[in-house]
Order: sequence, then C-alpha cells, then structure tokens
Amino acid sequence: MAKSREELETRIAVLERKVEREKKARVMSEQHLEHHSRAVYEANQSLQASLAMAKKKQAELEFLRQTSGDVSSDISLQELISNTVELTGQFFSVECGLFIVTKDGEALDSQEDNIWRAPNQWVTDTEFFEQAVKFLPLHQQECLSMWLVSAIDDESSQAMSGFKWIVFVNFALLGDKIAWLAFFSRAEFIDEEALSVLGTAREHLLSGINRRVTDVNIRKRTVELQDTVNRLEQAKRQLIQSEKMASLGQLAAGVAHEINNPVGFIRSNLEMLEEYLQDYQTLHESMLRHIETAGQLDAQHYKELCDNIDLAYIQQDAKDLLGSNLEGLERVKEIVENLRTFSHSGDGKLERINLGVCIEGALKIAWNALKYEHIVENQIPNDLPEVLGNIGQLQQVFVNLFVNAAYAMDAGGTLTLKAHVTPDALLVEVRDTGCGMDRKTLDQLFTPFFTTKPVGVGTGLGLSVSYAILESHNVLTQVSSTVGKGTLFSLSFPLLDG
Amino acid sequence: MKGIIFVKLNQFVDELWGEEFWDALLQEATLPSEGIYTSVATYDDEELFTLVGLIMLKQGLSAQQAQFAFGQWMFKELLLAAPPEAHKFTDVFEFLYGVQAVIHVEVKKLNPEAILPEFEFIQETDNSLTFHYISPRHMCYFCEGIIQGLAAHTGQTVSVEQPECVHEGGERCVMKVTKVG
Ligand code: HEM
Ligand SMILES: Nc1ncnc2c1ncn2[C@@H]1O[C@H](COP(=O)(O)OP(=O)(O)OP(=O)(O)O)[C@@H](O)[C@H]1O
Ligand SMILES: [Mg+2]
Repeated sequence: MAKSREELETRIAVLERKVEREKKARVMSEQHLEHHSRAVYEANQSLQASLAMAKKKQAELEFLRQTSGDVSSDISLQELISNTVELTGQFFSVECGLFIVTKDGEALDSQEDNIWRAPNQWVTDTEFFEQAVKFLPLHQQECLSMWLVSAIDDESSQAMSGFKWIVFVNFALLGDKIAWLAFFSRAEFIDEEALSVLGTAREHLLSGINRRVTDVNIRKRTVELQDTVNRLEQAKRQLIQSEKMASLGQLAAGVAHEINNPVGFIRSNLEMLEEYLQDYQTLHESMLRHIETAGQLDAQHYKELCDNIDLAYIQQDAKDLLGSNLEGLERVKEIVENLRTFSHSGDGKLERINLGVCIEGALKIAWNALKYEHIVENQIPNDLPEVLGNIGQLQQVFVNLFVNAAYAMDAGGTLTLKAHVTPDALLVEVRDTGCGMDRKTLDQLFTPFFTTKPVGVGTGLGLSVSYAILESHNVLTQVSSTVGKGTLFSLSFPLLDG
Repeated sequence: MKGIIFVKLNQFVDELWGEEFWDALLQEATLPSEGIYTSVATYDDEELFTLVGLIMLKQGLSAQQAQFAFGQWMFKELLLAAPPEAHKFTDVFEFLYGVQAVIHVEVKKLNPEAILPEFEFIQETDNSLTFHYISPRHMCYFCEGIIQGLAAHTGQTVSVEQPECVHEGGERCVMKVTKVG
C-alpha cells in the first residue's frame, strides 16, 4: 500500500528532526565525554599530586618518628648521633653525610668510619674528609641555631666534584666539645620543606643530647654524693670513736679516783699487815729468848707474851684487812673490765644482749659522777628479754645519759632507771630531777657540738653520737623535759622476733 | 532525572506507538532540552512529567497506567545498566532488599546527581514484603511497574498493592508485594 506524498513528507520531516536530535545528542555526548575525560585527567593529576604529597608527609613523619624514637630511647650518645646521620641522610636523599667532634676548632679522635654514604654505610675517606671539613666553620665556638646551607663551588677538589650543596649543623657536647653533622647533596636544588623537617629533627636531637649530657652529669653527681656519704659515714665512725675517747678522758679522772680508792686502802691495809707481821716476828723472838734462858715455855708465860702484842686483835684484824684487800682488788678488776668493754666497741656488731647487764656496767663507769650527791634508783628488772645490740656502744650511750643527768642535777637529785616490755618494744626510761631544758635546747639536743657547758668542759658530741648509735640499733628515742623539774629519755628497743 | 530514563522512555514510546508519536510529543511539549537526550546527562524532572502527561492525554491513559507500563517495560533495561551484584538475586524480595542496600547505592556513586528513592522495609512474612517508598517524585506507580517487571525476570508471580498512597490522600506510599501461587 503506497503512502501518499503528504504522508511521506511528514515521515521525512519526522526522520529529519530525529536525525537532527541524534546529531546534537551525539555532539552533546562527545562534549560530555571530553569534559568528563578532562575532569578525570585533572582528578587523576591532583590525586597523583596528593599521593606524592602524602608519601612525602609520610616519609617526613616516619623520619621524625624514628629520630624522636631514638632520642627517647636508651641508646648512647654516639649511637644516637650516628643513627641520626643515617636517618637524616636517607630522608634527605643525599649521597653523603659526615659526623665529627671538635674541640677548640680541631677535629678530635680517629677519623675512621665517620663518613656516611648512601644507601647506608660508614666509611673512611681521608681525602674527602679533609676537603669536606673546609666547608665547615670549625673555628666558630658558638653553636648554630639551625641548619645552614652553603654552595660547593666547582673549582673544589676531585673528592668533592659533583656535590652542589653542603647542609650542616652543630651541637654542644660536654667538656667544650662540639659535634658537627654535615650532608652533601648533588641535587640542583635543596628541598626547603625537607629542611624545615630537619629543623624539627634537630630540636629532637638537641633535647636527646641534652638529656644524655644531663644523665652523665647526674651520674657523676651521684658518684660524688655516694662518695660524700661514704666519707660522712667514715667521719661518723671516727666521731663515735673520738667522742668515746673524749668521754673516756673525762671519765679518766673519776676512774682514777675510783681505782685510787681501793688501791689506797689496799696499800694502808698492807702496811698494817706488815706491822702485824713485825709483831709476829717480835713474838717469835721473845719466845725463842725465853726458851733459851728458861729451857721451856709454859702456857702461862706464852699467853703473857701473846697479850703483849695483842695477838687476838692482830689475828682478827689481819683477816679483815685481807678480806678488804680482796674486795678492793675485785673492785679494780671490775672497773678495768667495764672500761675494756666500753673502749672495745669498734666493730659495732649486734648480738643478743641483756640491757640490765649493760646498764649495770654503765652505772659503774659513771659511778664517780653520781655516787656523792645523787640517789640512783635502778628499777630495771632482772628478767628483761634480750635485745639485739652492741654492748660497748650502748654502754657509751647510757654513760653519756647518766653523766648528762648528773651534770643537770648539780645540786643533787634522783636518777631513776626503769624498763618494761610493751607490745612492740622494750622501753627503757632514764629520768632525772635536774634543771631540765627549754625549747631551744631541746631542738638542738642531738646537734653535734651543741653544748651548754663551759668551753673545755663539754664537747657537745655526747648526744649526737648517742643518737647515731641508737639509730643504728633501730631504737626510737624520745625526750621530754620541763625546765626546773627534770628530763626523761625514753628509748624503745625493737623486740627480737618470736 | 538521569538521561537514561528519557532515552528509555523514547525507546519505549518508539516501540509502542512509533517514532512519529514521540516526534509529536516533542513538537508539542517544547522542552528546554528540545528532546535531545543522552544517557550521561541529567535533565529536569519536569520534562519527564510533561512527556508522561502528554502520553496520558494522547493515549487516554491514567497516570497509573502510563507509569506502570513504563516501569514494567523499564526493568529489563535497568538490569542491563545494573552493577554485577544485581544479577545474583533470584528472588523478588531479595532483589528489593538488594536495590536499597546495593544497587541504588552503586548507582548513586556513579551518578552523584541522581536522586534515588529510599525503601524502608516495614514487614516481611513468608509470602509478603511491605515497605515504605520514599521519594520527592512520588513515582509509586512507576515503582509498581518495575516490581512487576522484576517478577517477570525472576519468574515469580506477584501482586503489588498500596495500602497507603499519597495519590489516594495518604501521608506516604506503602508498597505491599505478595507472592501469588
Ligand atoms: C535493576 C537495577 C536497577 C538500577 C540500575 C536502577 C537505577 C535507577 C536509576 C538510574 C534511576 C534514576 C534516578 C535519577 O535519575 O534520579 C532509578 C530510579 C528509580 N528506581 Fe531504580 N534501579 C534499579 C532497580 C530498581 C527496582 C527493582 C526498583 C523497584 C522497587 C526501582 C525503583 C526505582 C524508582 C521508583 C525510581 C524513580 C525515581 C524515584 O522514585 O525517585 N529501581 N533507578
Ligand atoms: N639530762 C639533761 N638535762 C638537762 N640538759 C641536758 C641533759 N642532757 C643533755 N642536756 C643538754 O644537752 C646538751 C648537749 O648534750 P651532749 O651530751 O650532746 O653534750 P655535752 O654533755 O654538753 O657534752 P659532752 O657529752 O661531750 O660532755 C648539754 O650541754 C645540755 O645542755
Ligand atoms: Mg654529754
């Protein structure tokens, strides 16, 4: 069925419009495609740029992380610096790095293995080294506050040929030494940004170096302190000994008197006994004479002769005198023994001791200071538990307390000694009714050389030394005192376990 | 609306009523795009509604009939443009979940200017799936059509009703898809 012309024309018009639309659509699509491709290309470009940037940032971060990680780690200064050279060289992508230490502008120690070469190796290259250091202002004593860059001119030596830039910095080390880090680059341009990252790394490194330098100083100071402590310890031991000697000196007069006394009466007793012996001699001679003349001696006559020399009295008295001499000798022996324990206390070894016995001995030594004007009430029970102590040292303490008490009671008074066991200590109390102490004196009581005694009388060491001894026995010392009333020293000795 | 919808509408009209009819629609509509559609470009939604409105007028169809028919025809065309994930679904319900979770998401990635409907699933039983169709375009009839096209693709028979529909005075459009037989 043929279409009419009109129909055909309409059809052609429809198709023409359609073709027109299709053409335009195609152009649009192509434009769109072009636009799209350009957008994709640009996106790609900027992606690549940001990828490169991200990689760079990552490298910077990684570099900073590693350098700051090193800084806070425990590696030595030497290691820290050589690690820094390696990391920096790699980060900065240079061919060569250098590390030297100078003093007064001169390079120190061996120049072996002080040149770093990419990728990562330390080498010795004397020629390079000598040329390279010419670019560093080694004579300058001031430390740089940032990395410096200087160009390497072409005319320089063979060893330096090809290098365009040197980037360097320095740090102060102990003992006026200066550490120098230098990097040599063949690149046309120096990467500004990398330089700023290096700046940050420099600050990390600086703090790391400072920390290590401080560490060394602290270690040195600790050694010095330990030394001082040791010397003080030794001085203290000497002090204890010399104080003991001083108290010995002080006591010597009293002790001499103490010994003199029995020696005196032993002597006069002996004189008496000598006289009695003389009387026996006389009796014997009269008896002999009588027998020679009379041929015999009757009882009546013998009694007469005995009565002449008062033999009954002599016999009784001689017995008394001998007893008294023995007693006197016993007393001397005792004093000497106590003095020996007192002076032979050097080693400070702690043993199980009975404080009652110790105090008894101290009383004997200090007796001379106490016996005339003072009443001593020793209420220490016999059955005290043993404590760990050095009997000589503790005697020194008690002697000092007793002598101090006697001195404080110059017009007489009572020294009371008590001891009892509490749940966690053996408490010993030394109480006097002396002058007591005011706040100021109490505060300085244990201070070495503090004394209220006239010059030449007291050393002021007694209580400070006693305190040191008590401390080494883990004894808690407490003092309470009232001016005009008296003083109480309480010593808490730790109990033995079990 | 993405150009693909217009290109496909053109194809749909050509197949059904011939090129002259499409030409007549464009002549009458005087659209800003002059009917020059490429699938890569984006066009004003109004152009679609104008064209569909003219089709209804000229063919004596309701909006429902027109959009439904287009949707039903459209599915197989959309599937051609769909991401690979779309081909692994074998069930209508699964596919519908997939549209919301994967397919429209992928479409949006490739065409950031596309405005895709949201499906908010309300209820599922053995044989029914009810979801809330959310779109500023309110093309729920088109949606119904696509679902029927989808069922044809999976070889299932479904009925689609709208318990609620903005075109029926509802607050929102709720689609209930029920497997039949
Ligand atoms: C097979 C894979 C599918 C692809 C590739 C796809 C792709 C698209 C595209 C490109 C649009 C245009 C959006 C715009 O230009 O703003 C669209 C719209 C739409 N799609 Fe899909 N779709 C698919 C499946 C489905 C299915 C199965 C449904 C039905 C449940 C559906 C429902 C819709 C609806 C209703 C619209 C209209 C726009 C609106 O309501 O706002 N699509 N789709
Ligand atoms: N029981 C006490 N009562 C009052 N004052 C005391 C008593 N014990 C110590 N003091 C005061 O503490 C000072 C220091 O005593 P410490 O034993 O350290 O030295 P010292 O007795 O003065 O000298 P040294 O012990 O060398 O003879 C004494 O000078 C005295 O003032
Ligand atoms: Mg004293």
